[in-house]
Amino acid sequence: MSEPTAAATVDRRRVALVGRANSGKTSLLMHLTGSLQRPVNFPGTSVECIEGDVRVGGSLLCVVDLPGIASLEGHSRDEQQALLRLTRADEAPDLLCAVLDASKLIVELHLLAELRRLGRPIVVALTKVDVATAEGFPVDVDRLQRAIGLPLVVVNGATGAGAEALRQRLAAALPDVGDVADPAEGAADAVAGRRAVQRSRTDRIDGVLLHPIVGPFVLALVLLGMFQLVFAVADPFIGWIEAAQDLVGAGIEAMVAEGAVRSFLVDGLVNGVGSALVFVPQIALLIAFVTVVEASGYMARAVFLLDRLLRKVGLSGKSFVPLTSSFACAIPGIVASRILTDERDRLATIAVSPLMSCSARLPVYVVLLAAFFPAHQAGLLLFLLYLLGIVAAAVVALVLRRTVLRGGVSMLAMELPVYERPRLRVVGAHTWHAVRSFLRTAGTVILFATVVVWALGYFPRSPALHARFEELRAAVPAGAEGDVRRQRLDAEEAGAYLEQSWLASIGRAVQPAFAPAGFDWRMTVGVLAAFPARELVIPTLGTLYSLGDVEASTDLQDTRLGDALRTAKGPEGRPTMNGLVALAVMAFFALCSQCVGTLAAIRRETHSWRWPVFTFLYMTVLAWGVAVAIYQLGSWLGYAPA
Amino acid sequence: MAAAVPGRVYEVAAVVGADALARRLASAGVWPGTRLELIARAPFGDPMLFRLHGYRLALRRAEADRIEVVVRGAATPGSGS
Repeated sequence: MSEPTAAATVDRRRVALVGRANSGKTSLLMHLTGSLQRPVNFPGTSVECIEGDVRVGGSLLCVVDLPGIASLEGHSRDEQQALLRLTRADEAPDLLCAVLDASKLIVELHLLAELRRLGRPIVVALTKVDVATAEGFPVDVDRLQRAIGLPLVVVNGATGAGAEALRQRLAAALPDVGDVADPAEGAADAVAGRRAVQRSRTDRIDGVLLHPIVGPFVLALVLLGMFQLVFAVADPFIGWIEAAQDLVGAGIEAMVAEGAVRSFLVDGLVNGVGSALVFVPQIALLIAFVTVVEASGYMARAVFLLDRLLRKVGLSGKSFVPLTSSFACAIPGIVASRILTDERDRLATIAVSPLMSCSARLPVYVVLLAAFFPAHQAGLLLFLLYLLGIVAAAVVALVLRRTVLRGGVSMLAMELPVYERPRLRVVGAHTWHAVRSFLRTAGTVILFATVVVWALGYFPRSPALHARFEELRAAVPAGAEGDVRRQRLDAEEAGAYLEQSWLASIGRAVQPAFAPAGFDWRMTVGVLAAFPARELVIPTLGTLYSLGDVEASTDLQDTRLGDALRTAKGPEGRPTMNGLVALAVMAFFALCSQCVGTLAAIRRETHSWRWPVFTFLYMTVLAWGVAVAIYQLGSWLGYAPA
Repeated sequence: MAAAVPGRVYEVAAVVGADALARRLASAGVWPGTRLELIARAPFGDPMLFRLHGYRLALRRAEADRIEVVVRGAATPGSGS
C-alpha cells in the first residue's frame, strides 16, 4: 500500500477498469492490487468507483474500477457515473483496461469498438474464458489477439491466474492508440460459431430455479433463509454488543462522579455509539447474504421471477434487491436502489424502502406483543405487521407512479449470468465495506441524534427534586432490603426527572395529536424520542416507567417493561394501555419514518431535500392515520382500555 | 417475438424504434441477423429469457415485442450463436 506522497517520486499511472457489470472487474481489481483499498460499493455490482494502488517495479498503478457499462450511452446512473469518470479532463485515466467477458465476446467486441473511439490507449483483459468453454462457445485467444491488434491478457477472476501478467502489461510502455476501425468482423471468427454442448450446467440449474412452480417456491425459501439469518443468527452478536455497552457504561460510572457529565457519557455517548453498533451484525449478515446471492448469479433470477409482480405496483423486478435489503436496514437498501435504470423506478423504490419493517422495529413489536397478546396470537400479529409495511409500500409506490412519478421508460433488459461459486474474499470485502460505510454515514447521525434526545430528556435538573429523593433515601434503613428500596428510589428519581424534562414537556404538548390513537403522554414521549432512531423508544419507556435500565432486545427475558405497560394508570386511575393501544402503537412504528440515518441516506442518494422531506411527511401522516383508524375502530367495537 | 416458442431459434430482422430501449437492445447484441433462442418464461409468461451470442438476456414481453424476427428452426447442438 503506497502513501499518496510516494507518488511524487515514481511514475504514477491511472488505469481505469472498464467493462460490463458481471464482467469480473471487481475481482480483477482485487487480484491486481491485493485488496480493495478504497472500496465504495454495493453488493455484487460496482455501483461506485473502487480504487486500489499497486506498485509494479518503479511505477505506481492507481487502478479504479468504474461502474459497469454496456455502451457509451449511459442508461443508468451507474453508467453515467462511469462515463463522467472516463471523459472528465481532470480525472481521465492514462490507460484503459477493457475487461471483456469471453462468454459473450461478440457483444463485448462492440463495446471495445466504442471504447477505442475515446482515443486512449487500451489493454484488454479477457475474463471468463472457462465460462465460454463450459457454455459451448470456446474462444481462440491467439486469433482474437491478432484480429483486434491490442495487447491482450487472459485472466481468471476466480483464481487470479493471469493477474501478474496483466499487472506487468499495465505498467509497461503505453500501447498505441491504434486503428479505430471496427475490429469485430475479423475477431468474431475467434469464437466457435456452433454450440459444442447441448445443455450447460447453468441451463440445467435454470431448468429447476426458473421452473414456473419450483422456481417461486425456491425463491420463498431463500427469502425465509435470509430472515432467519438476519434475525436469529445476528441475535447473539447483538447481545454481545449490548453487554459491551453495559460494561463500558459501568466502567464510566465507576470512574466519573454522578451528574450531568456521567449521564452524558453513559446515556448519551456510550448509548449512542451502542445504538449505532447494534445494527452492525444484522447489516453485515444481510450484506454477506445478498453478496452471496448476487455473486452466485441467483439474484438476477429472483429479479426475473419477481419482475411482473413488482411491476404491477409500479416498481421493477430490480427493486427486489433494495426492498429485500430494507428488511434488515433501509440504509443499505436505499443505496442499492442505484441499480435501477429508470430514475422514476429508483425514486419510487427509495421512497417505499423505509416501509419494510427493519430490524430496529422488531424489539418494539416483541415487547408490546409479549405484554398484551398470548403467544399464539403474537406470531400471527408479527406477520401482519410485516405485511402491513409491504402492503403500504405497494400502495404508496402505485400512487407515486400514477402521480408525481408518472411515465418514464422502465426497462428490464438484463443479463442473467452463469451460476458461479461465490468467492469468500469478495463477500468479505463487500461486507466490510458496507459496515464501514454504514458507520460513517448513518452511525454518526444516530450518535448525534441520541445525544440530542439525551439532552432533551436530561434537562432541566431541578435541585428541589433531588433534595426530596435524598430525604427519602436517607429514611431507608441499611441492609439488603434497604438496598432494594434505594434502587427503586433511584429509578423513580430518574423517572421523575424525565417527567419534568423538556422531552416530557414536548410530549405533553404533542399528546393531544396522538390522543385519537389512544397514546397517553408517556407513549407520546416514547414515540417522540424514537424519531431520530426507533431503538430509543424502549430505553425511554423504561425510564418513564421508572424501571431503570431496560434493554432494547429481541429476547423475551425482560418482561418488566411489559408488566409496567399493562398496569400503567392514567391520572384518574384508569389503565392507559391495552391490546388495542398496543396495536395502534405497533402500526405507528411499522409505518412511521423514525430514523434519521435513513433520511440522511435518501438525501445523499437523491441529491435533494425534497425526497427525504417527502418521505418523512408521508410516512408520519400514514402512520398517524393508520394508528388512529385502528384505535377508533377498536373503540367503536368496545376494545378501548377501561 | 413475445409469441416465441421455447426451444425454437429466431433470427432478428429489425428492432422497431430508435429510443432508449432500442439503443439498450443494440448494446446488448440484438442486431439484425442475431440468433435468439427462447430459454424460459417467468411465471405468467413475462419476462422472457433468451440466449443470444452465447449469453442469457432477460426481456419483458413489451421489450421482446420490439424485436421483429423470422423463424430459423429448432435449437439443436450447433445453433444459438
